[in-house]
Amino acid sequence: MEYKTEEKEAFGRGKVKVLGATFEEGKPEDVKMGKWREKMTNRKEMLKYIETGERYWYSKDWYGSEKRKKPA
Amino acid sequence: MADGKLVSIDKTVEVLLDKMEKDGVESCWDRHLQQEPRCQYGDLGLCCRHCGQGPCQIDPFGGEQQKGVCGATAETIAARHFIRMIAGGAAAHSDHGRGVAEVFLAAAKGEAKGYEIKDEQKLLTMAMDFGVEIGDKSIEEIAVEVGEIALAQFGQQEGELKYIKKAPLKRQELWHKLGVTPRGVDREIVEIMHRTHIGVDNDYKNLLLQGTRAAIGDGWGGSMIATDLQDALFGTPYPVLGRVNLGVLKEDEVNIIIHGHEPLLSELIVVVSQEKEMLDLATSKGAQGINLVGMCCTGNEILMRHGIPVAGDFLQQEIAIATGAAEAVVVDIQCIMPSLPSVADCYHTKVISTSPKAKFPGATHIEFDEHNALNSAKEIVKTAINNFPNRSRNVNIPKESVDLIAGFSYETINYLLGGMFRASCRPLNDNIINGRIRGIAGVVGCNSVRTRHGEGHVEMVKELIKNDVIVLQTGCSAIDCAKAGLMVPEAAGKYAGSGLAEVCETVGIPPVLHMGSCVDNARILIAATAVIKEGGLGDDISEMPVAGAAPEWMSEKAISIGHYFVASGVYTVFGANFPTLGSKKLTKHLFEELEEQIGGMWGFEPDPVKAAQLMIKHIDKKRKALGIDKTRERVLYDMAMRRELEAV
Repeated sequence: MEYKTEEKEAFGRGKVKVLGATFEEGKPEDVKMGKWREKMTNRKEMLKYIETGERYWYSKDWYGSEKRKKPA
Repeated sequence: MADGKLVSIDKTVEVLLDKMEKDGVESCWDRHLQQEPRCQYGDLGLCCRHCGQGPCQIDPFGGEQQKGVCGATAETIAARHFIRMIAGGAAAHSDHGRGVAEVFLAAAKGEAKGYEIKDEQKLLTMAMDFGVEIGDKSIEEIAVEVGEIALAQFGQQEGELKYIKKAPLKRQELWHKLGVTPRGVDREIVEIMHRTHIGVDNDYKNLLLQGTRAAIGDGWGGSMIATDLQDALFGTPYPVLGRVNLGVLKEDEVNIIIHGHEPLLSELIVVVSQEKEMLDLATSKGAQGINLVGMCCTGNEILMRHGIPVAGDFLQQEIAIATGAAEAVVVDIQCIMPSLPSVADCYHTKVISTSPKAKFPGATHIEFDEHNALNSAKEIVKTAINNFPNRSRNVNIPKESVDLIAGFSYETINYLLGGMFRASCRPLNDNIINGRIRGIAGVVGCNSVRTRHGEGHVEMVKELIKNDVIVLQTGCSAIDCAKAGLMVPEAAGKYAGSGLAEVCETVGIPPVLHMGSCVDNARILIAATAVIKEGGLGDDISEMPVAGAAPEWMSEKAISIGHYFVASGVYTVFGANFPTLGSKKLTKHLFEELEEQIGGMWGFEPDPVKAAQLMIKHIDKKRKALGIDKTRERVLYDMAMRRELEAV
């Protein structure tokens, strides 16, 4: 991929060059690309993901902002 | 006849209303003009028809008529009317959920050919929510237990709904304190009907509490169950490329429009329409293929999961037939105009009803039976194909259609933000705290002939994203913003403020996220809760910089949705009209006092840009309360300071 740069204003430094967009142009052709749940192929992996990724409800020891007030 | 340019921002409406006029066909906009002037008593919520002594009307200008025959005041009459609207909306969502639960259970038991549990992971989360032991049980065994518990939630009489525990802890406590935690989905709806009968509950604040209880039973009950079971049965949505507006109809193919709200039959029509037998039949009739498109929320369901194009929203259902290119309009439940068979009479289109709950004089009825759903789907597709040779030359398919990315379930947003190993709302929270994202808005709901079609949604959402507010959408509101090109990643650079655009471009998402059908508003509740639980933006949804809106609402479902947003702590602004304006006391209670009581409140503003500014003002108020309205000096915590914080 060819990286493009863009010129932007930076506070106190005037104009600077920064890395531009790195996405590939066009429409996605591989419909499977976004199907992230299919990466988990067995129940053990699914339960592990639920415990970490969906920890707000399914982790036994981590409840985000509510941890301090209502320990698990 | 109605002027297409005046009634809609969508060019397809202008073109096809002209065609309908030439064809001698009446539209909903024509009937809207015939209905003017509207009954002002009814419009303001001051007409009571709950007993045979009426109708009773209250004079909003202080004249003699200040009480109904029974003595009911403006507050009582307007509150009874308002919560009966909640009951109607909650019943519609919940009966949808019950229907899904029945099919889900039949599929789990192997009694519904063609259905299977496609998303085991979603099933497992439901099992954990419902307290079903997972162990080494098969998918089917777990699904039977989950399905039975889900079905029982509707008729439950005591205790509280299972999903209440998913709400922020502080919100649960508030609901318990107010006595509005729903016991069962149906019970709260029935109690509304009882309390609003003549001579029962006459205290408008007490009536509204029961409305709150039923609305929570919808958002955190019936609707949430419907969404989760549909995800388990058909798959949790991923980002998917789709196309929207009437230009998706094809001149040389059999066009089948699926309209309504449930994905139960439409999922199988998607499968059947791709079978060789059906494609061969279509070819034999002179068509180049079968073009399946959606409309309204059934359209959103199959768009979210398969990228099936959406032909249009609620107000485009008649003009879709007027293209002359639709072989069949297949309908299930909710938001289907009774006029469709009479519009179809002027063309070759067959209107096919499928639900025993929703029949239409003049339509062909092919009943959906979950035990024999594949055959129902085949019969429907064959009926459409066999109708292709009857298409006349009087066809006008508008050119307009645009790309969109749909499929933003909460699970997928969480994954996109955090990644496989640590899916998280943290990047969203951080960017709200640092101000790149000002806040979150849920803009949802219907279309109404009482506003310019599409304008309310599009103008409001443009104003919000311009001011760095990320927008979550469902229903016809999502369809309208997609038609305006707001649901592609490129929209971030074009319409969003620089902070929001930066975040969207980094993650690779549009500034306006399509989260599904109107029953999927439950996804927004879950997303908001995840943000709270992640930390840093308060302990309850009411503390978050968040607001909701339905600028073109029209259905009772919208009132129920609006009220469960309010009951969840969200400031929610409606456009078009508002059904309690005749009672100053009730309206003040809804628009001001409720915030003190339940954290959320209603608002009304017909101008979509002004309404967006009200939402932004509220978001800024919440940012100030959280102390994230200005840059603060960064403090590095040592261990003693951390311990002190933990002890709070």
